[in-house]
Amino acid sequence: MTKPLDSTVARKPYPYPRSHEPIAWSLFGAGGMVVAFIIPVLALITGLLMPGWPVETLYPNLLAFSQSWIGKLALLAVISLTLYHCAHRIYHGLHDLHVGGNPVLMLLLFYGGATLLSAITAAWLLVI
Amino acid sequence: MRSSSTEAGTATPKSHRKPYVQQQPASWWLKNRFYRFYMLREATSVPIYLYALVLMWGIYALSRGEAAFADWLAVMQTPAMMAFHLLVLAASLLHAYTWFDLTPKILVIRLGAFRVPDLWVKLAHYGGFVVTSAAVLLLAVLFLNGGSL
Amino acid sequence: MATEHSAMIQMTVVRYRPEQDDKPWDQKFEVPCSNDSTVLEALNYIKDNLDPSLSFRWSCRMAICGSCGYMVNGVPKLGCKTFLRDYLNRSGRKGKVRISALDNFPIERDLVSDIGDFVDKLETIKPYIIRDNEKPASDGEYLQTPGQLEKFKQFSGCINCGLCYAACPQFGRNPEFLGPAALALAFRYNQDSRDEGSAERMEFLNAEEGVWSCTFVGYCSDVCPKSVDPAAAINQGKLASNIDYGLNLVGLAKSGSGSRKGSKTKRDNLSVDDKQSVKTEDVS
Repeated sequence: MTKPLDSTVARKPYPYPRSHEPIAWSLFGAGGMVVAFIIPVLALITGLLMPGWPVETLYPNLLAFSQSWIGKLALLAVISLTLYHCAHRIYHGLHDLHVGGNPVLMLLLFYGGATLLSAITAAWLLVI
Repeated sequence: MRSSSTEAGTATPKSHRKPYVQQQPASWWLKNRFYRFYMLREATSVPIYLYALVLMWGIYALSRGEAAFADWLAVMQTPAMMAFHLLVLAASLLHAYTWFDLTPKILVIRLGAFRVPDLWVKLAHYGGFVVTSAAVLLLAVLFLNGGSL
Repeated sequence: MATEHSAMIQMTVVRYRPEQDDKPWDQKFEVPCSNDSTVLEALNYIKDNLDPSLSFRWSCRMAICGSCGYMVNGVPKLGCKTFLRDYLNRSGRKGKVRISALDNFPIERDLVSDIGDFVDKLETIKPYIIRDNEKPASDGEYLQTPGQLEKFKQFSGCINCGLCYAACPQFGRNPEFLGPAALALAFRYNQDSRDEGSAERMEFLNAEEGVWSCTFVGYCSDVCPKSVDPAAAINQGKLASNIDYGLNLVGLAKSGSGSRKGSKTKRDNLSVDDKQSVKTEDVS
């Protein structure tokens, strides 16, 4: 097939395969909500409130919270979704900056990394 | 239109087109305010990612006992860490601001023929932000004061 | 210009003549302008009085044909809708403006871009009402409530000017991206209550070159002269595509070719060249 005269850029041929981006985007969206609603106040807490507070009162209460199932789930959700949101943004940001790299490796580094870190966090939360 | 006729004297004339293909430079985002702000918005994810790692570290310390957690807490008190926390606060607030600007564009709510105005969706998000932050802060203060779960 | 000129604008126009030049170069002109002079009028002044070899597209002079898109000081604008008075210095008597062909498109000559690829994309996404069963004219018109109209009306205002493609860095990075106008147009038809063809268009939205190349920079909506807000259309499309992905996982998606009778037309299977010589026949 000869290239049409009226275009210098080859149009992608029919058909267009379905992208799997929705998986990443769903996590990105959920994470984005978490980062917007939870991270600012959390940064205030861990950066201003917690430091300087006597650890004797702080530790037992935090431990009790993270020993409860609701506490474990909350902590895992916050950390995991934040990781996925940021990994997605950084992955696409590097693409925007023309920073290349083996596509599979990049996917493993960012989404695989977020998954691994989430699993590790879950493991730690389980033993608390 | 291309001529596909093969009659004498009607063959396709030689094209003198030579389109100049403009390549996007890696510095494209420096070009104007809009692009630069977009990059700043995306860049907020870097300190927040690092903060997630700090939180992970805190959970690890929590799992290792009071002494380990006290060490983590001591590091949180260092000037470097407090500066980092300010950066994370700024980044997450900028994220929230841009996120609440964009969400009404995606989250279109229609009740029959009535479309919920973008402004209401945005204000609902800001309201939710205030309520959630207050709730988490209250919970935190309760824990710090030894209140029950 | 009919009115007395009150200022002189130094217009730098980026020229490119394919038969003489290897790359674009700047040419400076001094153009008189008055309070209501536009970039388009200035270009026509240059062509009429200073350099007749300057080439540029234009037609309606009233921001509805979409022909006169150029970069004005690095910002995609319509020439007929951009006033030189906004580029004057404090004295109000002198100013500087730089005009070049739209970013991200190949430059054909001077300010004329090759938009063939853009037109291809508009055609690709099936920008027409698709019905499972055609409604005969004897049945009367399609009726739409204001609410049904509101769902797509804004996205139907596109004049195909291409400013959004010049603005979009993702299109600049990857020319295979379907782009703001094409995706907004696809979404416009999906949202139209008269249309029954969203299943066919989801293929384009769902692709990597569809909505998923977009990172919501939002500049496309910022530069759009008709306030179409393609960024909103694309990102609402992401939501629709996301739902479609989930439905597809459980086998409930309507999208995908062959899932509805007559979904592939004879036209669809032709290459772009052949389409130009084959008349479009009725879709069954």
